[in-house]
Amino acid sequence: MKHRSRKWLMWLLFLTVIASGVAALALAAGPAGIPVRKVFQILSGRGGGIEQTIIWDIRLPRLLLGIAIGGGLSLAGVILQGLFRNPLVEPYTLGISGGAAVGISLNIVFGLHRVGILTMPVAGFLGACSVIFLLYVLSVKRKVLSLHGLLLTGVMINFIASSLIMLILAMSRGKDLQGIVFWIMGSLDEPDGSLIRLALGASVFFLAVTYFFHKDLNALALGEEEALHLGVPVERTKRLLFTIASLLIGVSVAVSGMIGFVGLVVPHFMRKMVGHDHRILLAASFLAGGAFLVFCDTLARTVIAPLELPVGVVTGILGGIIFIFVLTRQEPGGTH
Amino acid sequence: MKLRTGLTLCALCLLVSGSAFAEAAPPRRIVSLGPVITEELFLLGSGESVVGRSHYCTKPEEARKIEEVGNVVELSTEKIVALRPDLVLTTGMTDPGPVEKLKRLGIPVMEFPQDNNFKGICDSFLRLGQTVGKEKEARELIRSAEAGVNAVRASMPSKTKPAVFLEIGLDPLVTITKESYLNDLIESAGGTNVARDARRSLYSREKVLAQNPDVILIVSMGFDGEEEKKTWQGYGGLSAARQGRIYIVDSDLFCAPTPLSFVKALKVMKEMLGPKP
Repeated sequence: MKHRSRKWLMWLLFLTVIASGVAALALAAGPAGIPVRKVFQILSGRGGGIEQTIIWDIRLPRLLLGIAIGGGLSLAGVILQGLFRNPLVEPYTLGISGGAAVGISLNIVFGLHRVGILTMPVAGFLGACSVIFLLYVLSVKRKVLSLHGLLLTGVMINFIASSLIMLILAMSRGKDLQGIVFWIMGSLDEPDGSLIRLALGASVFFLAVTYFFHKDLNALALGEEEALHLGVPVERTKRLLFTIASLLIGVSVAVSGMIGFVGLVVPHFMRKMVGHDHRILLAASFLAGGAFLVFCDTLARTVIAPLELPVGVVTGILGGIIFIFVLTRQEPGGTH
Repeated sequence: MKLRTGLTLCALCLLVSGSAFAEAAPPRRIVSLGPVITEELFLLGSGESVVGRSHYCTKPEEARKIEEVGNVVELSTEKIVALRPDLVLTTGMTDPGPVEKLKRLGIPVMEFPQDNNFKGICDSFLRLGQTVGKEKEARELIRSAEAGVNAVRASMPSKTKPAVFLEIGLDPLVTITKESYLNDLIESAGGTNVARDARRSLYSREKVLAQNPDVILIVSMGFDGEEEKKTWQGYGGLSAARQGRIYIVDSDLFCAPTPLSFVKALKVMKEMLGPKP
């Protein structure tokens, strides 16, 4: 027991060091080419001028949003994979992101975004919420939330949503079309500071809330019936966890668009590293997800600077390669 | 008393004119995110104030030396801020997120959306001239461009208006409607655009065949124009194919409309729409 908690502590320490290193890199690297010494000066409160604006107003908000979104999506991935006991489930499987995308597309097509740029995340979140509601209503039968049904319905809603987006794209004019494509590609370049704070607050808050359910998640990993025998209020827990994961996805997608792969790969990777116990898995995935996304975003900003790659491209390629590498190296029979 | 009033008035006048001067001080560090805008800035003689450009701002040749800050649609906010611009010029295609960020950082941003016709192009050009303190130059250039357009219109030989289909995209077939300045170009050169009143620029091959245009213009942007020309020539019943009036057009000339390049493009267009020698 003692040995295990020491191991977990080491993992957390290790991941925190990695995350801090990535954060430092994200603050120091960028197309403006500010020397590292100058960056230190500015971070310690000395030095000013344009470099100060670049670091405090451009790089830092992106870093914070990266932690929020990467952490939030990974957390949602851990919850969903635990809940469904299915390694293929990820934040974008259930159609919630599709709902958000339809919301945003409609917002752009009807020109509401001209009222204010804030209508975009609001529309996205409303879209996500309508799908969450729909999923929930369709999957609850005789007061039992059928996870199997939920998954299938979610996958179907996702298909419908992507077809709807295609339809909207086919019917929209040049400029709208572009706006939708931009948004779907996903970016951490969010101008509004309060949205970044909201995303960060939400993901940390939900991380804390999920910790109240770590035992239930561990029990659910054995199966619903087994969890029931262990005294877990299965129905209530399922609903709450589903709601938490959905809201996390809704907020993430509404603020920064669809940044794929983080929520699928990071939980798997962490399960291989730290084990299946949710006590450590939740925090480890959050930290690793944040660090991974910030790292990918730093690459996206710098590789072909001054052009920026869509961050989803980097997460997809890098995450996919790392994941296949880890998967093929492990000994047979040890898959999840 | 009168003297005092007079003095006050004078002081007021000075103040007002002073602030007017302050307002009129032209921007010295401009970041231009539109190829047309950059080209126009050089036409106006303000090229040396451009400190940042998009990847596609390659006209005139001197523009290539300016630092890049992104392509037309995506840009690096960080790079732009680092250039300390006092004005950023965007097109309608620029990603709104980073633009909003720049505005919040207190950098003045002006949008120059793509114009629908020659008049719009000239109006935008004048607005740009006023912004950079080159109104007189702008007006002069516009005057000469207008003269050029009028000269082409006056020398229109035939009364019959050839029906034109202008193709700018393949798979799916994309054309231009009356919302594009290319429509104005066709009409000014004495043609009619078969897709003029279409609601969208997505078009179908079947519809083109049904409308049977006299001329097909292929503005090849990233697809094989020759191959496409052969496809059209394969339709025996097509009037344009029978008359051999399917042309591949230089996309550089047709897709960056300054008032001056509009005139150039118009002359080329007139040649193609005119009676076949």
